[in-house]
Amino acid sequence: MSFEPISPSSAGRAGKIALLVLPFLAGFLCMLLSFVPFSRIFGVEVAPAFGLIAVYYWAVQRPDVFPPYGVFAIGLFYDLLSAGPLGLWALVYLIIYGVVVSQRQLMIGRTFSLFWLGFLVSSVIAGFLGWVLASLYFGQVLSPGPVLVQMAATVALFPLFAKLFEQLLQRLLVQG
Amino acid sequence: MDQTNRPALPIRDVSGRVSLIFMVTLAAALLLLGRAETYVVDRARQVVTDLAAPLLELASRPVSAARRVVESTDQYAYVFDENERLREENARLLAWKEAALKLEAKVARFEALLNVQVDPSIGYVTGRVVGDSGGPFVETLIANVGSNQGVESGQAVIDSDGLIGRIVATGPEASRILLLTDLNSRVPVVVEPSQIRAVLAGDNSFWPRLEFLPAIAPISVGDRVVTSGDGGLLPPGLPIGTLVEADDGFLRVQTFSDRSRLDMIRVLQYEFPREIDAQDAPAVLQPVASEVQGETPSASTPSAAPAAEGGT
Repeated sequence: MSFEPISPSSAGRAGKIALLVLPFLAGFLCMLLSFVPFSRIFGVEVAPAFGLIAVYYWAVQRPDVFPPYGVFAIGLFYDLLSAGPLGLWALVYLIIYGVVVSQRQLMIGRTFSLFWLGFLVSSVIAGFLGWVLASLYFGQVLSPGPVLVQMAATVALFPLFAKLFEQLLQRLLVQG
Repeated sequence: MDQTNRPALPIRDVSGRVSLIFMVTLAAALLLLGRAETYVVDRARQVVTDLAAPLLELASRPVSAARRVVESTDQYAYVFDENERLREENARLLAWKEAALKLEAKVARFEALLNVQVDPSIGYVTGRVVGDSGGPFVETLIANVGSNQGVESGQAVIDSDGLIGRIVATGPEASRILLLTDLNSRVPVVVEPSQIRAVLAGDNSFWPRLEFLPAIAPISVGDRVVTSGDGGLLPPGLPIGTLVEADDGFLRVQTFSDRSRLDMIRVLQYEFPREIDAQDAPAVLQPVASEVQGETPSASTPSAAPAAEGGT
């Protein structure tokens, strides 16, 4: 390790850069995916919080390649694009990220259902926090229905995205 | 760039914690400051929306295609029922058409007699909805038309069924639509046929509610709600929906447009007729009156042209 060649192979360097950039990019694309009007197909508006899946997954698996400013950036862009209170989801995602990173030992190397359960708990906290903050921001008690639907859909879609991220992580580790 | 080196772990752990705390503080500060909704924030939103719009447009194409597939299979399933229904509706509408033609001729005649200032014709831009609201606390959409196409803040947005909202922000190539259901949406409306005025206020539920109704209003469930044009921002007479009684006692409105199936939309470039010159009664009366007496009953359209010219 300490005797690394002075100029590491370009493939190795590319792998390292990819390991730093691609998880964030994946999270960013997930965030954008929330705005794709899927509701048109089903006739119900859900817009799952795909960004939260990315934040949770990388916070458990590899927080070192998904630093807090990445989480902040994803939350901030989500706020900017959704025209909601600026900083709301950035704050919620960061809190979730902080909590999950501190508890990640509980979930590493355990079964997938535990990993999923952890996400369920995280989304409940995130949804509740978001609802409380938004209610305070708008100065009235908002209807909790939409956020409940959103979080339920997000939890239901978690395994799919977790598998995709796993593929990405494995590819990156092989390359790096 | 050597963040992946193993020996650096503890230091990075500490720096990670510090940056986490810093970022949390920053987000909380933004949330507090964001109440002010400054120019910088608005600009940032517009720039981000404009940048994201092409990506979202790309992504929304397959979604629209999928919807068409779903819809067409639906239609195949119900083609017989639908055909029956349309036949009945057609028979009913033919009777209405006769009545409408007669009324149109009559109204044109009266308008000419009373020298009514006809509303200027309204231009429009057609676009597509490319982005959903994305979050649970806001009801806005992103459309792929912007200031380059002449879209401006405040303009009404309709789809084939009725009013859906209005433009609240525009970039060069994309704009944001505030839906009627959003918490911040307030639209002056008229309840037909009693002509009671009220304000339609969104509250993030599916059904916006009517506010500022008179204490005793002769209205009932099922009445039509249209825009009143008060305030001069939205054109009057745009259909919105019908009255429904909600469980919480409020009178709410079931909109004609289906919020979750919005695709093609039309942005109306309405300008409140501030500077229309007074029309010369005989000049208007003569051509319209002669046409009414002639064979074609659609006489109100030519009279709109001079008014439109006067308005611009």
